[in-house]
Amino acid sequence: MPSDSLCFEANHLSRAFGHGRRRRLAVNDATFTIREREIVSLVGQSGCGKTVLAKMLLRLEKPTSGQLLFRGRPIDAAADPREHWRQVQAVFQDPYAAFNQFFSIRSQLKAAFHLFPQRPSEREMEERVDQALLAVNIRPPDIEGKYPFELSGGQMQRMLLARIFILRPQVLIADEPTSMVDACSRAGILEYLMKLKEELQMTIVFVTHDIGLAYYVSDRIFILHEGQIVEQGTPDAVTQSPTSPVTRQLLDDIPSLHREWIGRAPRA
Amino acid sequence: MFANHPTLRYIAGRAGWYALTFFVAVAINFWLPRLGDANPVDTLMSKVSGSLDAKSARDKEESYLKEFGLVDLDEQGRIVRDADGVPVRTSILSQFIRYVGMSVRGDFGSSIVQYPRPVADIITTALPWTLALQIPALILGWFIGNSLGALAAYRRGVFDRVLYPMALLVSAIPSFCFGILLVYVFGIQLEWLPTLGGYDDGMNPGLTWAFVQSASQYYVLPFFSIFLLVVGGQAIGMRSMCIYELGTDYVRYAKLLGVRESMIVRYMFRNAMLPQLTGLALTLGGMVGGALIAEMIFSYPGLGLSMLTAIQSLDYPVITGCTLLVTICVLIANFTVDILIGFLDPRIRAAREGGH
Amino acid sequence: MTPILEVDRLSLHYRTRFGGRIHAVDDVSFTLQKGEILGIAGESGCGKTTLVSGLMGLLIPPLHRTTGAVRIAGRDILGLTPDEARRTVLGREVSMIPQGALNSLNPTRKVKDLAADVIRSHDERADRSAIHDRLRERFTKIGLDADAVLDAYPVQLPAGTKQRVVIGISTLLNPKIVIADEPSSALDVSTQKAVIRLLFDLLDEGIVSSMIFITHELSLLRHVSSRIAVMYAGQIVELGTTEQVIFDGRQPYTRALMGSMLSAEPGQKARKPVAIEGAPPYLGQELHGCRFAPRCPVAKPDCAGRDQVLREVKNHWVRCHHAE
Repeated sequence: MPSDSLCFEANHLSRAFGHGRRRRLAVNDATFTIREREIVSLVGQSGCGKTVLAKMLLRLEKPTSGQLLFRGRPIDAAADPREHWRQVQAVFQDPYAAFNQFFSIRSQLKAAFHLFPQRPSEREMEERVDQALLAVNIRPPDIEGKYPFELSGGQMQRMLLARIFILRPQVLIADEPTSMVDACSRAGILEYLMKLKEELQMTIVFVTHDIGLAYYVSDRIFILHEGQIVEQGTPDAVTQSPTSPVTRQLLDDIPSLHREWIGRAPRA
Repeated sequence: MFANHPTLRYIAGRAGWYALTFFVAVAINFWLPRLGDANPVDTLMSKVSGSLDAKSARDKEESYLKEFGLVDLDEQGRIVRDADGVPVRTSILSQFIRYVGMSVRGDFGSSIVQYPRPVADIITTALPWTLALQIPALILGWFIGNSLGALAAYRRGVFDRVLYPMALLVSAIPSFCFGILLVYVFGIQLEWLPTLGGYDDGMNPGLTWAFVQSASQYYVLPFFSIFLLVVGGQAIGMRSMCIYELGTDYVRYAKLLGVRESMIVRYMFRNAMLPQLTGLALTLGGMVGGALIAEMIFSYPGLGLSMLTAIQSLDYPVITGCTLLVTICVLIANFTVDILIGFLDPRIRAAREGGH
Repeated sequence: MTPILEVDRLSLHYRTRFGGRIHAVDDVSFTLQKGEILGIAGESGCGKTTLVSGLMGLLIPPLHRTTGAVRIAGRDILGLTPDEARRTVLGREVSMIPQGALNSLNPTRKVKDLAADVIRSHDERADRSAIHDRLRERFTKIGLDADAVLDAYPVQLPAGTKQRVVIGISTLLNPKIVIADEPSSALDVSTQKAVIRLLFDLLDEGIVSSMIFITHELSLLRHVSSRIAVMYAGQIVELGTTEQVIFDGRQPYTRALMGSMLSAEPGQKARKPVAIEGAPPYLGQELHGCRFAPRCPVAKPDCAGRDQVLREVKNHWVRCHHAE
């Protein structure tokens, strides 16, 4: 269950790019809160500002104006951003880009322990790598001696999540983690995200253009359009009684099995 | 000033950076020889002082000091002296200003070793040889190297398997070794070609048939020692660029649409050429340096040799004159390549003109 | 009616450096009628991409034909020399809308020059102004600001426009068959819908006669194709009308694909999507028995040892001896 204490709190948060006539607000006056142990999805079309917002939560982008608090303190309270990254980790679209192709996957998973101030013993590291692999439903012998190019996109994305299981950050920002994954493996990725939240008490911010995916995992959904949060609410509220035309459009644009989608019958 | 003209603004911006680079180069060029203890007047005096008495030695020294601009002069052009009658040495800053002023006028002073021959004269005698040797070797080498590299990437097979190791071998040999190797094989062992100098001894440079014939024989080895190195280096770079381009999505797509092979080769060549040009801009200085060394090895009567003899005899005015000229040439070439890339690559052009 | 395309027991393999063979496409047969959209569904590594090479007559080593034929209007296009295939098949008979539209346009050439290259490659005598008029007309037809787009470099165009440009260039020569390989997977849902509409328009206007639509999203095929072939490990495991495959799939793999789907519809949250665990088998070895058996949730002891053949079940084709 999400707790009542706040993980992120944003007040009139904006981020502008460009100057003069070409100045554009990627995030425009966003005010929201994200509680501890909550999964919040940022949903919108490409260019809606969801990725920029996620980067601000990761302290990779600085707001132009407004206030962003992380656990009650300004997000840039510590001078060293690594302080922030010890608590907040991210997974991105392309899992291959996150691994070095010349090292075995297992050795790279083990290398995650370097981020800890004190490394556990060799045996404990091996055990925890095994546990992390099992957590994402991969039998450790299956990836023994394997390199990134030998695994599918779905399997690699699970390796990224296994790394998260090892690192155990308190907050995870997941930016389109399923877009390079086969449809039949997506459900698995979502399942592991929920598992991270339940077992490790993680707060998760999930960025996607597919409101259908958000519907499955989220406690709350934020709909973004042209930099603004146009709607926020529980998955059921947002999908069943949307108030914004943007949300309705997003729902309408997902091809669904049981509903007319494109206004024409498939051709025969 | 060029606010509304992105292209001019771009060129002006690049030119600004090159002007700054040039200034720094001139300054380094000026200061480097002055870091040591050697002083041209002392060097000259040591050659003549033995035959002179004290008075005429002092007069001689003062005339040299005046000549090399190392003492302050009053309005009438007389040497300014302190209370003891000793000439007042010019500050390094005013030396620098004088040096810049003279350099701009093309006056690099006089050689110490060949005194009173002006440095400008030494350079103008040597420069045509260097230009005639280096420009064809570098440009031809660049074109042929890139063409061979592209061909190897496109055809693969036997051609690639022969060319690639050869190019690797040639470009892995340092330029001085390569020159010596050519001298040994073709000059000493096979005795096919002359190895030292620019033309037969006792000949006077001029546009006579006999001279051109002699000079062209001497031309072959230094030319190939530069040319082959450039070909090797460029071919390797171009080959890997082209292999990369051939594997891109856009090449695959063009093939799937039945676009003719000749057009695909053009796509590949052009897109691989852009990073090669950038590479050229970065390595041009090194290439010219290597070519100057080749001149030294073959005692070719160009700038390289002038520099070598000047360095051996600590003839500073000649050294700085030559390096300054080489610097200017490299900067001009670099600037040209730099502007060229900006025009050939639409991505840079689009960014400049404020596209999407 | 004779089909526009006939794939007849096609098997293709790659030769590896060490003399081995990877059987990427194994015994694939189907037909495509004029005006039809056939969907091909399957996860990555199922042989879709190799099949596309075969359908375009592009067998470039190390890819080779093992057996079978691909016939367009009765002519086997796999027997053609590369240059014949380029001149007579590619772009005209069969064209392709690639997966990564964003990287499919040469970055240093203007859109109009890229498009003109395609026309000139097939018609050397086409003159400049005729080509230009043709491009303007076609690009306007597909809903683009033709003058601006034609004169732009690909980098200057947003993703959705680029995808349209690629579709425009792919269909310039009015190809009989267009193969769309995940044309919308890199786009957001709204742009995806616009792209599918555009493909429908091209069919309606007769610019394209038939289409093969490849994707791993069954929910998309539900609205796009009239028939669906499901591929697994180089083979077709189920082939039938869209209704049959999606709502009455008989092959366990098809059902597993359906079961892994997510949907934002009311009440669907109760139905928990289940991912298919494991990975498809490596095709570089001799395979015996049902290829899906190791991952199959309803596998029986006899599955692993029994080679499966495509047989008719409930008026469509299924590769599973337990299906009924």
